[in-house]
Amino acid sequence: MNALRSKRFIITGLLPALVIYSLFVFVPVIWSAYYGFFNWSGIGEAKYTGLSNYAEILRDPVFWRALKNNVVFVLASVFGQIPLALALAVLLHKSNLLQRFLRSAIFLPMVLSTVVIGMIWQYIYHPQIGILNFLLDALGLSSWKLQWLSDGKIAIYSLIPPLIWSYVGLYLIIFMSALQNIPGEIHDAAKIDGVSGVRKLLSISLPMIKNTVQVAVVLCISGSLKSFDLVYIMTKGGPAHATELLATYMYNSTFSTYRYGFGSAISTSIMIISLLLIGTSQWLTNRKKDAA
Amino acid sequence: MNMNTTPPVTAGKVKPSGGVRIWAKPGRGLFWVLLTVYGVVTLYPFFWLVISAFKTNADFYARPFGLPQVWHGDNFTRAWESSRLGTAFGNSLIVALGSLVLTLFIAALTSFILARFQFRWKGGVLTFFVIGMLIPIHSTLVPLFILMKQMSLLNTYWALILPYTAFALPTAVFVLTAYLTSVPRELEEAAFIDGTGLWGLFFRIMLPMSVPALATVTILSFLHSWNDFSFALVFINKTALKTLPLAIANFADGYQTDYGLSLAGMTLSVIPTVILYLLFQEQMMKGMTAGAVKG
Repeated sequence: MNALRSKRFIITGLLPALVIYSLFVFVPVIWSAYYGFFNWSGIGEAKYTGLSNYAEILRDPVFWRALKNNVVFVLASVFGQIPLALALAVLLHKSNLLQRFLRSAIFLPMVLSTVVIGMIWQYIYHPQIGILNFLLDALGLSSWKLQWLSDGKIAIYSLIPPLIWSYVGLYLIIFMSALQNIPGEIHDAAKIDGVSGVRKLLSISLPMIKNTVQVAVVLCISGSLKSFDLVYIMTKGGPAHATELLATYMYNSTFSTYRYGFGSAISTSIMIISLLLIGTSQWLTNRKKDAA
Repeated sequence: MNMNTTPPVTAGKVKPSGGVRIWAKPGRGLFWVLLTVYGVVTLYPFFWLVISAFKTNADFYARPFGLPQVWHGDNFTRAWESSRLGTAFGNSLIVALGSLVLTLFIAALTSFILARFQFRWKGGVLTFFVIGMLIPIHSTLVPLFILMKQMSLLNTYWALILPYTAFALPTAVFVLTAYLTSVPRELEEAAFIDGTGLWGLFFRIMLPMSVPALATVTILSFLHSWNDFSFALVFINKTALKTLPLAIANFADGYQTDYGLSLAGMTLSVIPTVILYLLFQEQMMKGMTAGAVKG
């Protein structure tokens, strides 16, 4: 009847979303790939310099430091956050008052701004007024007191507890709903076969939610590449680049020196690294599946 | 990877019999003690923030763990007045609501079309939106800054509303399309026979029907734009336009030694999201999980 009318409706309807999405998500990606080949300060002519921005990135020790720190964050999330969240999901599966309360408490940081989270932890670690050092004093462990955020050797590790604290609730809920989606018949079958306790957990429940764990690993990887705010608020990448992440490295080398071409090249590199990491993790888990 | 569009069994309602029982009776006591300790440790930073916001500096040093000796409410009034928190609140509200309305409208329209019409590029359009979820948001800061500069959008509300909307779209379209695909077709066929046009169908039938999915999208979009720091940091530097996270971050900068003031400001800034959380806890957990497990 009205093929023409629906065609017009489809086009008008899709247009706003496609325009906004392309303009603010895709065009920037393409532009940064393009500007990465230029030396450009934001005003005046951009000068084509080929791959020299990328060569400079690869020669820059700060880049390698940032990449290493990003890997530390990924490992901390994959091997700290996921096991912790899995354990909590198993323990908190029932719904008595205490368990509901604990779930709410653990998820709460997810709704706070990273700025607030970063600042709270800055106070916790503060050398003079920080409650962590007060606590160590109170426990008679004054010798354990450290310059948590200003000692370059440990600063990056000090950032891991706030990272885990803020996201573990998300993984807890993801794993809990996966565990609850295991069909009841499987639990019944296990009961008949007399399988229970830890053995049931390891040989039935965990394998059943393997896909969800894989999704969580990908989330950890992309999430750790997103931790710009936390680091920016707590250390700005310092002291002496000790806590620099790829995103803060990009921010610091673009906006403090107005090197937009160089910054675009870093931005493109982050994109490539993130796709490589996600691709590799997918490949690894799929290969394991084939082998098994 | 799969995503649950029909609500998974929500966090609160589990049949105890279906669960995993791993502890024998004797271990129980210790296990509950450990869990409770974990809960206290988890909640402590937040608790500490709120009680310290009522302290004077002297109290802050003298009794770092204790409750305030006198509850000083004036930290809050000072924070509200002296550091332009009021303006920042207004700005955050404008950009969060602006991008929320825009996201809901265009995502619902797009999803209606993707869920209910057959056309050639449908698969392509869906894939296009899904790919966007893989793009690390911070890697677009520099190019977006250049783009905004050339469009003269820097230091306007649009510099935040438009990118917030753009980055909310993939998840929103995904959640809404999945939901609308599962809605039965009888209603719209009846409406068609009654002579309702396509726009009428969208506004009068589709929008009201997708309220549960729209609620999920609302939670995700509002939280993201209310809490965002990095876009605001790069695209806004006029004081009059600064959003709440920027205003709060100022406290972290300027060698601030009036601790009560900073903590009061931080506490004020989290009140809206914490109230929302207390009211809509289950929906928020479900929504954010759906938003995260989107691939």
